[in-house]
Amino acid sequence: MDSSLINVEFLIDTFFVALSGVPIALLVTVVALAIALPIGFFLALTRINEIPVLNGFTKVYVSFVRGTPIIIQIFVLYSILPLILSRIFEQYNIDFPIYDVNPLWYAFIIFSFNTGATLVEVFRSALKTVSAGQLEAAYSVGLSTAQAYRRIVIPQMLVSAMPNLCTATINLIKATSLGYAISLQEITLKAKVAANVGYNYLEAYIDIFIVYLILCITVEYLFKVAEKRLSRYKALATA
Amino acid sequence: MLEIRDVHKSFGKNEILKGVDLTVDKGDVVVILGPSGSGKTTLLRCINFLERADKGTATFGDLNVDLHSASKKEVLAVRKKSAFVFQNYNLFNNKTAIENVAEGLIIGRKVPKEEAYKISRDALDKVGLSNKYDSYPSQLSGGQQQRVGIARAVALNPDVILFDEPTSALDPELVGEVLEVMKDIAREGTTMIVVTHEMGFAKDVAKKVIFMDGGNIIEEGTPHEIFVTPKEERTRRFLRRVLPGEYDFEI
Ligand SMILES: Nc1ncnc2c1ncn2[C@@H]1O[C@H](COP(=O)(O)OP(=O)(O)OP(=O)(O)O)[C@@H](O)[C@H]1O
Ligand SMILES: [Mg+2]
Repeated sequence: MDSSLINVEFLIDTFFVALSGVPIALLVTVVALAIALPIGFFLALTRINEIPVLNGFTKVYVSFVRGTPIIIQIFVLYSILPLILSRIFEQYNIDFPIYDVNPLWYAFIIFSFNTGATLVEVFRSALKTVSAGQLEAAYSVGLSTAQAYRRIVIPQMLVSAMPNLCTATINLIKATSLGYAISLQEITLKAKVAANVGYNYLEAYIDIFIVYLILCITVEYLFKVAEKRLSRYKALATA
Repeated sequence: MLEIRDVHKSFGKNEILKGVDLTVDKGDVVVILGPSGSGKTTLLRCINFLERADKGTATFGDLNVDLHSASKKEVLAVRKKSAFVFQNYNLFNNKTAIENVAEGLIIGRKVPKEEAYKISRDALDKVGLSNKYDSYPSQLSGGQQQRVGIARAVALNPDVILFDEPTSALDPELVGEVLEVMKDIAREGTTMIVVTHEMGFAKDVAKKVIFMDGGNIIEEGTPHEIFVTPKEERTRRFLRRVLPGEYDFEI
C-alpha cells in the first residue's frame, strides 16, 4: 500500500476516467438546453404578455423548480415517471420494459425540466430590456410578429440574456454531476467508481474538480466571445 | 384617398377618441394640433393598428378596413400602405442605418436585396446621411436617428406617412435639420399626417390643420383659418398658450 498522501499514478489515470464522462455530461447539457431554450422563451412570452392559464401555469412551474433542490426533483421524477408510464403502457397493453430504460433519458427530461424554469426568468428579464417600440417599429414597416421577433427582438434580447444564460449553462453542467444518483455514466460517477476499488477518493475528487473547472472555464470563455459578437452594435458606440 | 371614419377608442373607462373623422387627399400634409392627452398619438396608432380601435373604418384608396375587426391580412395590407415615424425614433438598435431602412423593403415587402439597398441608399442620401450608411443608431445623434427614421418611412413609398411628434424628443438645436427634411419630402408630394407642436411647420407646410381636444376634432381648416381666424374658443385658448407672443392682443 502506498503511504503517501496522494497516489499520483491513480490521480493521473483517474483523470482520464473522469474525462471519459465529459461526453455524457455535455450531451445532457446540450440536449437539456436545446429543449429548455424554446420552452423557457415561449413561457417567458406567456408571462410577459400575461396569457391567461399559461401565465399561471408558468408561475407555478417556476416556483416549484426554484423552491426544491435538484436532487429531490431528480428522485421524484425518477420514481414517478416510470410509475405513470407503466400505468399508461398497461392500459394500452404495450409491452415496454420501462424499468430498463437508459438513465440518460431521465437525465434529459429532468434537466430540461429544471433548466426550463431557470430560463423562463432569464428570458423574462431579458425581454423587458427590449422596448415595446422596437416591436412596434417592426410592425410599422410590415413585419409579421414572427419576423419581428426573429430579426429584431430576439437578437437584442439575447445580448442582455447572455450573462445569465452563461450562468444557467454552467449551473447545468455542474448539476449533471447529480446524475450519479440515477447511475448516469457521467464524470462524477465514473471517477467515483474508479475510486471505489482502492478507496482513492481524494484523488478522484481532485480529478472531478479539475474536469468541471476546465469545462466551466471553457464554456464561460465561449459565452464571452459570443456575447462580444452579438453586442457588436453596442460596443461600437463607445469606440 | 385616405378616409378615417368615426374612430372610437377607450382605455378602460377612459374614452380617449370619441368619434374622429379625417380625410386626407393625395399629396396633402395634414397637421394635427392639440393639448397633451387629447388623443393625437392614439389616433395615429389606431390608423396603423398599433392600437386596436373600438370602432371605426379606414379607406386607403381601394382598400377598405374596419379599424376594430380587421383581419391579420388586412392589418398587414394597411401597414404596407402606410409608414410611421415615432417620437423617440424607434430605430432597430441591432441594425445599421441602411439595414434599418432596408428591413421593411426586404422582409416586409419582399423587394430583392440589391434593389432594396439601392432604394435605401437613395432614401438616406435624401435625408442627408450619405456618410452614415453603416452607423448603428447608438452612434448617431437624435437628429440623425430621426432622419434615418424618416428615410425608413420614405423608402417604403407608402400612400401616407404618419408622424407622431417627430421633433419633440430632440435637443432644440437638432429640431431644424429634421423639420427641413420633412419640408423636403412634403414638397415632393408625399402624403403626410403630422402631429406636432411646431407651429412654424404647420403654417408653412400644412394644407390642412386640425385641432383636437378631449378626443374630438374641434376645428379644422387651412393654416390661415386656424391660426388667424379660429372660430372656436377652445382653439383660441390653445393657440394663446402655445403662441403667446402672437395672440397677446386678445388678452
Ligand atoms: N396604452 C394605454 N393605456 C392606458 N391609457 C393610455 C394608453 N395610451 C394612452 N393612454 C391615455 O390616453 C390619453 C391620450 O393619450 P395620447 O397619447 O393619445 O395623447 P396625445 O394627444 O398624443 O398627448 P401628447 O401631446 O402628450 O403626446 C392619455 O390620457 C393617456 O394617458
Ligand atoms: Mg402623443
